[in-house]
Amino acid sequence: MNPNPFWQNIFRNQANKQTLAYFLSQVPMFSKLSRRELKFLEKIVHIRNFEADEMIFSAGDIGSGMYIIRSGQVQIFSIDTNGKEVEQAILEPGDFFGEVALTGTRPRTAGARATTASSLMGLFRSDILEATLRHPAPTAKILFGLNRVLADRLHQCSQQLELLQAGATTPEEPHNE
Amino acid sequence: MSDSTGFRRAQVAVMYLVLTTAIASGIAIYSSATTFTSLLQTATAGLFLPILLALIVAFMLEPLVSLIENRGVHRTFAIFIIYLLFSAAVILLLLLIGPPNWRGMMQALKADVPRYISFAIVYLTGLLELAQQHFPFIAHYNLGDHLRNFSQELIGAILVQTPRSAMRIGSLLILVPLFSFFFLRDSRRIMRGLISLTPNRYFEMVLDIYAHVSWQLSHFIRGRVIEAIIIGLVVWVGLALTDIRYAPILAVVAGITNLVPYVGPIFGMLPGITIALVDLGVGPQFWWILCVYILIAQIIVDNMILIPILISKVSNLHPLWVILAIIMGGKLYGILGMIIGVPIASIINIIILEIRQYRRTFNLYNRYFSSRGKML
Repeated sequence: MNPNPFWQNIFRNQANKQTLAYFLSQVPMFSKLSRRELKFLEKIVHIRNFEADEMIFSAGDIGSGMYIIRSGQVQIFSIDTNGKEVEQAILEPGDFFGEVALTGTRPRTAGARATTASSLMGLFRSDILEATLRHPAPTAKILFGLNRVLADRLHQCSQQLELLQAGATTPEEPHNE
Repeated sequence: MSDSTGFRRAQVAVMYLVLTTAIASGIAIYSSATTFTSLLQTATAGLFLPILLALIVAFMLEPLVSLIENRGVHRTFAIFIIYLLFSAAVILLLLLIGPPNWRGMMQALKADVPRYISFAIVYLTGLLELAQQHFPFIAHYNLGDHLRNFSQELIGAILVQTPRSAMRIGSLLILVPLFSFFFLRDSRRIMRGLISLTPNRYFEMVLDIYAHVSWQLSHFIRGRVIEAIIIGLVVWVGLALTDIRYAPILAVVAGITNLVPYVGPIFGMLPGITIALVDLGVGPQFWWILCVYILIAQIIVDNMILIPILISKVSNLHPLWVILAIIMGGKLYGILGMIIGVPIASIINIIILEIRQYRRTFNLYNRYFSSRGKML
């Protein structure tokens, strides 16, 4: 009934590999990459598996890269003045986090924990730096995609800020777009 | 009664069996472990040098391979291109200037070494007599005998080792390119596989430290080898201007001993100066050779130009560590160990420093963040 776990593992890995590029192409950051560039990206990312309730990183850790959720669920939280955890976000497959640390050695500003058993893909600074030397063109495209998503976020953020400012000056009529 | 004795007998039998099996298996495990380690030792005995050389070659060729790979060429193919270019260059060089007359050089050296050493013995005995006149208490220290014994051993070693080392060089010529090919092609995959074994909690740290260490290491090894090659070339050109014999061999010796800081260059120039003294005598040529060794090669080229450019300050070792590394390397691997002991000590030093620096920044940020975090 049960196939040999050894062979199962091998075949599962093979299947993982076949779908990894597909999964990457579904992530908005990498949606504009060609098949070859996705293959290249596949070689740079590290697949890390976390158990349920395992810490991915805590606030203050030195960060060296970002994670993209392939499966599972990740909770982002910060710690308030009383030492209690405050949940910031729950992230689902396809979301990414920790991208701030990709650009420079910085402490993590919030903690991340896998709430269920999850498989994450880590994209780390040292690998990107090395890849820029060896394959500048695809790496530039990967970084460009990351940049696009970050710029979108920044844009959203400034819009929300404007919204808040408008709300603060005229609290009676909330400004809607 | 009989029941209890029978029980006891069974107990004794079981005890006996258990004890004997325990002792036997203990001996078996011990002996198999020792034979296993000795097997491992004999199996890996000849591999140290080819693997070391292959690693150095891989480190040297890595930038060239990356350069070709940058243009969209597959890595394996890029390595083949480099190998092809290299062998073409060597063949072209051999065709242009002809194969070096190694055999003749070895024969001449075999005849000349005793002459040079006997000269050195005479010279040193003279020095010793002079010293004995001033310091009578060293009267019964016979330096000449020591040196004579040493020279006889050296000549014997050269006579015995030459055919054997020719075989070894032949095997090196096959093994080193093979190993370095795989190191060049798969080192990244091997290291990624090893790093991916680290637990999640330490993964980022290990990855970062590995990146730093490998950057430092590749620069250090490349820098040292390029430094040795340039020093060898400078000495060769400098010596070729004079009438001294064996300029290529002396240049190789100077280049290789230059890998050992502080002490290496002194030992590297001893054979050259001895040969100059014996063959040319003290004259303008001798002073020029001394000048090439000390002033041009060491002070100007090495200390003023090469070391500031090639060698980062990180890899500086305290002289005490240098001496310890030379002695320990010599105990482990003889002359080869003396030469590579210091670079290996520097490599360990680099690894420790990088880890320590990483941890320091780690702690610094941690403190900074927690104080900020509490204020926020």
